Amino acid sequence: MTMSENVITVDRVTKRFAGHTAVSDLSLTVPRGGIFGLLGPNGAGKSTSIRMMMNIIMPDEGRISVLGEPSASRDLSHRIGYLPEERGLYPKMRVLDQLSFLGEAKGIKRSIAREKAGAWLARLGLQDWAMKKVQDLSKGMQQKTQFIGALLHDPELVVLDEPFSGLDPVNSQVMREVVVEVARQGRTVLFSTHIMEQAEKMCDRIVIIARGKKVVDGPLADIKREFGGRHVALSFTRNAERAAPILADRRLLTRVEDHGATAEAELAEGADPENLLTSLVQAGVGLSRFEVREPSLQSIFIAKVGADATSAPASEVAHA
Amino acid sequence: MHKVFAVIRREFVERVRTRAFLLTTLLGPLFFGGLIILPALLLSRGNTGVRVAIVDASEGEFGQRVADALGKVTVGRGEKATAKYEVTRIRSGADSKAVLDSLVPLTGLQEADGAPGFDGILVVDEDGIASGRMRYFGENVASQEDMGSLRSTLTPLVVTERLRRAGVDPTVALRATTPLGLETRKITQGKLTEESGGAVFALAYAMGIILYMALLLYGTQVMTSVIEEKSNRIIEVLVSSLTPFQMMLGKVVGVGLVSLTQISIWAGAAYLLSSNRVAIMSALGIPIPATGGLLPTMSADLLVVFLFFFVLGFLLFSSLYAAVGSMCNTIQDTQQAQFPVLMVVMVGFFSTFALLNDPSSSFAQIAGYIPPLAPFVVPVRYSLSPIPVVQLLLYAATTIIGLLAIVWVSSRIYRVGILMYGKRASVKDVARWIAAG
Repeated sequence: MTMSENVITVDRVTKRFAGHTAVSDLSLTVPRGGIFGLLGPNGAGKSTSIRMMMNIIMPDEGRISVLGEPSASRDLSHRIGYLPEERGLYPKMRVLDQLSFLGEAKGIKRSIAREKAGAWLARLGLQDWAMKKVQDLSKGMQQKTQFIGALLHDPELVVLDEPFSGLDPVNSQVMREVVVEVARQGRTVLFSTHIMEQAEKMCDRIVIIARGKKVVDGPLADIKREFGGRHVALSFTRNAERAAPILADRRLLTRVEDHGATAEAELAEGADPENLLTSLVQAGVGLSRFEVREPSLQSIFIAKVGADATSAPASEVAHA
Repeated sequence: MHKVFAVIRREFVERVRTRAFLLTTLLGPLFFGGLIILPALLLSRGNTGVRVAIVDASEGEFGQRVADALGKVTVGRGEKATAKYEVTRIRSGADSKAVLDSLVPLTGLQEADGAPGFDGILVVDEDGIASGRMRYFGENVASQEDMGSLRSTLTPLVVTERLRRAGVDPTVALRATTPLGLETRKITQGKLTEESGGAVFALAYAMGIILYMALLLYGTQVMTSVIEEKSNRIIEVLVSSLTPFQMMLGKVVGVGLVSLTQISIWAGAAYLLSSNRVAIMSALGIPIPATGGLLPTMSADLLVVFLFFFVLGFLLFSSLYAAVGSMCNTIQDTQQAQFPVLMVVMVGFFSTFALLNDPSSSFAQIAGYIPPLAPFVVPVRYSLSPIPVVQLLLYAATTIIGLLAIVWVSSRIYRVGILMYGKRASVKDVARWIAAG
């Protein structure tokens, strides 16, 4: 194995399914270490890209190399942990047996797999469920179990497809902490999501894809700097409706995202944030937050993908 | 190899742990025990007290002899024997019809109804003796057992009567026409064995059935478990860890071991029950039939040949079942898709019947070289008549080559099929999967 700088290289990859192109001429590199976010709206081609990296489906064009080898060949499987978007466990198997089996399938010894599975279950608060059948677990617990299955063999590359979807805030937080810890150990984590807040908090690097094409690529800090502009983030406490005409004033603000109780907007060229604050206060709008800051990933995402995503034909969006 | 072993263990342990496995494993010996005890039980408790009216329009003592003979028919053995018939003989003279008509309304009545009732009316007349066509009227005419018993009781009486009327001494004639019985003993490798032809036949038949049942019960389990893995979506995790070949091999071998375990338990239980049947029956107070043991003995070399071809056959058919499972998304899909495989299983099973008729026919010689048929045909043929060692090895070799070819094709279908969702694969798709590099 070569200690190449990039753990994953996707080189001009295209994948077509009957009638539509899921991934179109996609190139990206995932450097060793850190957390890499693969972002995009539903149906953008995130899962298809990940499945091609995992060698589950073959690209029609282009090349993929993982850990220096063509795709994630089965010889590498013990170095990679994978949580597919479609979660799946044997429903009638006991949790501990299930995890031992997943570990063994990755090539580690059964006794070691059991030991590690026990430690992980305790860490994620599932120790009392080790001898229960998978089908008796709640959906969140099943997801945590499968998450353990992806990490059990201490892989150097962890690929997680929508790892936090469908989890309550507490469980979501527990799993986020684990992901961050894995990255701190020098291992590489790639995860996909369509929820920008998650990616913004965790990722060092991101790629945003929409309709199978790459839209944004690079370290998160650089992306924010390049996107530029001064943004204001607002949180309203009362009379939020009186803010609407002020937010609509194009001399003050461009690109407004009005979420009702909060809003984010880019300040217009030459506009003074103090004028905006004064106008809001004079209108009687109650504010709990008024912050001038760099753009959120959410607003970058909407600016870059928004128009594209809405113009996407419905049939393509349906193919998630 | 370690990974394949992990899959085998998972398949084996998870299956043996199920309630269904426990239940069928326990029910098997119960069923077999029932098979031994029930016939003996039925034999001792056949229906008795059938009330028969004989309308006697015959000449001489014939009617009386019929009544006597029927009266002597018993059900059960020894002390428990009871008379099957309660006979009432009514002489009618030439006009049997009038008597018959008067008896018909009484048929089916019970004594309690205030009139003498009958279950059946047998008409004995000169026509019957001459033509051999007796008439019987009753509610039990559909009972094969009752009619058979009547017929076998009446036949010698009619024959004797005809001989007597023709002036021949019936005892001489009956002795001269005693049918020939053929007592059989099998010779294996120049040694006289204790096996009768019937026992050899039963054994050959049983071997065919065991493979057939194992394939229908467990081969299809391979198929459904592939579909379960697809619909549980666990397949993606597996595919990222294991090669399709490892997955398929582990599954087929694991399920195969489950079936061997169950069959061994059944065979062991059957052996114990059969060798202790006398003790069991006397403990239950059931009269012991005179027939020999139900289980034929199986020589060691036959056992080896049987197990060897059983394993080959199971691997061959269950990899086909795995391929079929991978092509489908739901159990309903498999109904159609498994049909070709099922057909081959049936052909294999039914070809053993052809063998039972003539184990050394040219069909039997050739069928051994056809891999899907050999697992059925070769052990059955081996049990019936000797196969030269060279030919046996050739059979084994061709079957192994065929098995490898089928596993290769199946694993190529499996490799693509397990990740196909949505529609069921067409024949064209499957051909493309096999051809694909």
